[in-house]
Amino acid sequence: MEIKNMKKITILLLVTILSLSLISCAAPEEDSEPIESVEEAIVIKDHLNREVILEKPAETLITSYYIPTSIALSLDLKDNLVGIEAKADKRPIYEMVAPELLDLPSVGTMKEFDLEGAVELDPDLIVMSVRLEDAVNSMEDLGVNVIAIDPENSELLEESINMIAKATGREAEAKKLIDYNKEKMEMIEELIEGKDKKDVYLGGNSSFLSTASNKMYQHDLIENAGGNNVAGDIDDTYWADISYEQLIAYNPEYIIGIPGATYTKADIIEDERLQDIKAVKNEKVYFMPSDIENWDSPVPSGILGNLWLTSVLHEDLYSFDEFQDDAIEFYNEFYNLDLDRDKITK
Amino acid sequence: MSSRDINKGDSKNKFYLQVTIATIVMLVVFILSIGIGRYTISVREILDIFMGREVKSMTKRVFLTLRLPRTIMVLIAGIGLSVSGSVYQTIFKNPLATPDIIGVSSGANLGAAIAILFFTGSNLTIAAFAFFGGLGAVFLALGLTKISRTEDITSFVLSGIVIGSISQGVIMFLKYIADPERQLAAIEYWSMGSFAGITSEKLFSILPYFFIGIIGLFLLKWQINILSLSDEEGKSLGVRVSLIRVIVIICATLVVASIVSVTGLISFIGLIGPHIARMLTKKNDFNTTFLSGIIGASILLVADILARSMASSEIPISILTTFIGAPFLAYLMSRLN
Repeated sequence: MEIKNMKKITILLLVTILSLSLISCAAPEEDSEPIESVEEAIVIKDHLNREVILEKPAETLITSYYIPTSIALSLDLKDNLVGIEAKADKRPIYEMVAPELLDLPSVGTMKEFDLEGAVELDPDLIVMSVRLEDAVNSMEDLGVNVIAIDPENSELLEESINMIAKATGREAEAKKLIDYNKEKMEMIEELIEGKDKKDVYLGGNSSFLSTASNKMYQHDLIENAGGNNVAGDIDDTYWADISYEQLIAYNPEYIIGIPGATYTKADIIEDERLQDIKAVKNEKVYFMPSDIENWDSPVPSGILGNLWLTSVLHEDLYSFDEFQDDAIEFYNEFYNLDLDRDKITK
Repeated sequence: MSSRDINKGDSKNKFYLQVTIATIVMLVVFILSIGIGRYTISVREILDIFMGREVKSMTKRVFLTLRLPRTIMVLIAGIGLSVSGSVYQTIFKNPLATPDIIGVSSGANLGAAIAILFFTGSNLTIAAFAFFGGLGAVFLALGLTKISRTEDITSFVLSGIVIGSISQGVIMFLKYIADPERQLAAIEYWSMGSFAGITSEKLFSILPYFFIGIIGLFLLKWQINILSLSDEEGKSLGVRVSLIRVIVIICATLVVASIVSVTGLISFIGLIGPHIARMLTKKNDFNTTFLSGIIGASILLVADILARSMASSEIPISILTTFIGAPFLAYLMSRLN
């Protein structure tokens, strides 16, 4: 008797689970409306080589991490955002340009995307990182338009900006931004042409004993600004940890700290072990401002990182005052923001 | 009818009552779980979907490809981890035995780490590597036991420790060479478990293995009861102790590996479910194992509801199961004293 009962319960349970699973197996109905005017459809090829077709420019937008959010801001799309990444309050630029962004629903982090939450916001388009390929596919299955971007360097950033611009009908804004970047890069090239390269050491986020290796965006940043990355022989794609001895052996003329560094200028200058390094002796230790944007990374304002470092390394060719003027002009032009000059530090 | 028979009948009735109550609790939290989420779906809409009535197509899609598969996954993960935890505790005669005792979690973790580091790192690749990593580790441990020639419980446990440690060593090395921002973060994150990425596709990909394992365990319930006795007693009852033990381990491994391959590691459910069940039944038989599955599923469903509703972004599931599980274990310890 009891065995029978046990079996019954077991079978009942398994049948429940199975039938529920089978219900979920039933394919959702295909009811997407036919695209009315195929000629006008916008076709975008994203960084996962997917073809995304939009009937008309996207009006409402979700960006799932800070780079696409910054791109959206630079393309004057702040009023079109309906959801952004978590921890938005960590990005000072959001508060300066569009404080209302901080009240938008969060759709997750680089590690986890809130699938249901994003659908609930009913966006015309979601911009995600290629790292969240699974979430991209899930959203696509649900019939939501997604562009996956991989802005790891300047070229890929430019492509990403163009994709978002095309999808939202902001091509003119994108062209202006990209032209500005090109113009400024050419200006830097002309300025530093034939000049001596300065030995630069760039400290990472967590410690000044972690540094940019030669496959990183930050390495290119140094080279673009007429510097020589003393750690350029480290063949890696991420911050490399080095020892005090190594740093002393590099003996850089300049030490640069990036935005968000967890150490201060004083930590370096007052470190007794570093007193013989040229940069410390001559007090040539500079920190990128941390209250604006991460100019050391591929964001739309990344050009300012190049300009900042150029003015630090070649003050005689491009003064810090000139740089401050350029930065203020940049934010005025592309973010409609009056940037406080005092925030632009070195 | 002797008084012994009456007692036996009483305890049976009590057990059925416990199973019934536990099942009702499980169904209630299951229904709660399919009703709660970021996307607003009303109870009425859910009923309409089940009845096949007209519902907004996006609502239906979200419900059928995200919400329901996720909840079913949580349900079967709770059942599977608790049942296999209970089985491990029975056959290893150790109340603290978990699936990792024989290396399945470390193996799955290693598989996932390899996929994240050397392959595309898409979730299905990670799942496949984790699944075979878990199975591979257990087969290696079983092989090691075979070599030791003394196929008693101690050799199984020692082999599990050896394989687990080697896996951990390799994982540490992989973490060292991993890119800290992406790959290392992904490996760490995987080991904290999450149901956030579960879709119908992932659920269906693991269901067959899960069912083979769990049905195997249910079919072997008599033998599992025997394995809780000493090997000599088992042999005298005509059970091929060594063979059955290996088959049971393989079934439990299939269950655990199929679950963690898509969810990442989920801690403590394999301990709390069985312990609560044992406190209720005061026994260590397969009925208790069955009850522990229902209890484990209920707890995991509650943990998952919390995981997706407590903060603005998802909380990894093991954080919650650990915070529920560890105090509970401490309470158990104080009671045992």
